[in-house]
Amino acid sequence: MTEIELRVPLGLGETLQDTVYKKSAHEYVAFGLVRHAYLGGRETLLLRRVVPLPDSAYRKTHSHGAMWSGAAMAPVICQAVDENLGIVIFHAHQHEGIPQLSRDDRASADQLLPVFRQRVPTRPHGSIVLSRTNAGGVVLMPGEEQPRTAITVRWYGASISKWGREEPNGARPVHPIFQRQALVFGGPGQDILQHAKVAVVGLGGGGSHVVQQLAHMGIGEIIGVDADRAERTNQHRLIGWDRLWTWVRRRKVDLMRYLVWRIGTGSRFRSIFAKVPDPLAVEALKEADVIVGCLDNLHARLDLQDLAWRFLIPYVDIGVSIRPVEDVQDNGPRVAIGGNIITLIPGGFCLWCCGFLSDEKLAGELNGPNRGYFRGREGEAQVVSLNGLVASQAVSEVLQLLTGFAGTGIRHADVVVDPDGTDQRGFKKLNGTSGTLQEWGASQRSTCTHCSGTLARGAVMWGAAA
Amino acid sequence: MREETIEQAIKDLVERYGEGVRQAREGSQTLVRINEVELYPACRPAVTPMLLAFDSAQPKPLVYVQPGQLLANGRAPRNSSTVLVGGESWMQFSFNIPWAEGDSIIRFVAAARQRFAQDD
Repeated sequence: MTEIELRVPLGLGETLQDTVYKKSAHEYVAFGLVRHAYLGGRETLLLRRVVPLPDSAYRKTHSHGAMWSGAAMAPVICQAVDENLGIVIFHAHQHEGIPQLSRDDRASADQLLPVFRQRVPTRPHGSIVLSRTNAGGVVLMPGEEQPRTAITVRWYGASISKWGREEPNGARPVHPIFQRQALVFGGPGQDILQHAKVAVVGLGGGGSHVVQQLAHMGIGEIIGVDADRAERTNQHRLIGWDRLWTWVRRRKVDLMRYLVWRIGTGSRFRSIFAKVPDPLAVEALKEADVIVGCLDNLHARLDLQDLAWRFLIPYVDIGVSIRPVEDVQDNGPRVAIGGNIITLIPGGFCLWCCGFLSDEKLAGELNGPNRGYFRGREGEAQVVSLNGLVASQAVSEVLQLLTGFAGTGIRHADVVVDPDGTDQRGFKKLNGTSGTLQEWGASQRSTCTHCSGTLARGAVMWGAAA
Repeated sequence: MREETIEQAIKDLVERYGEGVRQAREGSQTLVRINEVELYPACRPAVTPMLLAFDSAQPKPLVYVQPGQLLANGRAPRNSSTVLVGGESWMQFSFNIPWAEGDSIIRFVAAARQRFAQDD
């Protein structure tokens, strides 16, 4: 009975729940179209689409369950075949606690899953029943004869809501070192932090602040990704710097590991001495619950955006830009200081939707036709306090995602900037000269091919050449 | 590139490389992976997986090898970089391979191998 996790992007969770929780004389059904990937030591279903069964497809039945015409499934099966997706039948039993398939549900799964498998043999297929707090059912993985029955769900919304395999059994005692912090997150919140894996990509002026704070909070595992070595010129901004490092040009990952060890709250630090998208870095990032990008170039952000959407991992991006003011007024500021903290929830707006990435901006980082001609951005202004501002907010965003201390919920209404608007929270801008941080918000663009192209796509699946 | 050209290229690759050729669809691209392509004996390693990305909107395929591939002199090819293709890491390298529809895809692969015969 090996565990399997279902990840549900923002938006699709609302559609799914609105369909299966509808109250009527019969149960309601939605079909989920999924890809799969092996993430963090477990098979993971990545929900790519939800197709509610139309009202006209239901047939009258004497039981409280649902019966529907086989023809109604034809479009779903065609779509699954065309796009190489698995099919999961969803319905709900509206109670709390772990739900189980009824005898009818089981009989229907026994009949339908082999049909789905015959049409798309390389993807998982299943029948999942949702209660109000947990999930149960069967999932048939490719090449396996025995279905898996231990199902967990990760819903993305204002925070990450995890449905486990067990009934909640009360909070564990909080370690004294976290007692005052647990007043904010609660005992269960602290427990979540101590089991979380957060990847920090880029361990320079911003990333070192992030690592330090995550360690103080007792995050279970911090995955640090950086291929650089510390130099004397980093001393003014690199948190955790020690004068001894000046002479030995230590790897930044080693500095951060030492920093985390010195803090001593029990956080583990995993060093990934590699650049994104080197294979070592990519494999490590796939294990993270949240990715924090503290990068100085757009191409690396492009890669993190791609990975975050493919494998449904929230991604928090930070950056600071300090530029001289050309027309300085008397006694006015001599620099313009801008910054951003962008929290990207899979299924919501992406870096392309909010205009942070564009083909023109990416081309501006190159001296030639492809990434082999990357020229980067050397020598930009950096100040430790300004880096700290955006890094601290990024850590708060991570905490919100993990614990939901500032609000939970998977509905669009739970993530909008204001109740009357449509913009999603998550795009905050820093004005470093006035010292303000403002929520701008952003919306998913329906025409964004990057969102639709990569969301829940997983890695490429190789098959025999035709 | 026309769909027929892509289909013919895949057939030719299977004929040449046998079961070591795998295929996948990624948006508008058809990706073809050759599990083992022999480079030159002094290259490190001397055998690499190779990825060909065919796109009907592009005049010729894009070619990639396994990240970390070195030339005979132990250096990475100039202007090479690691990129994500279909969620996997591949090494992109800069090399002009003359090729047009109708030309043999096997010649295209041979030309790509040539890049690793030259030290920078």
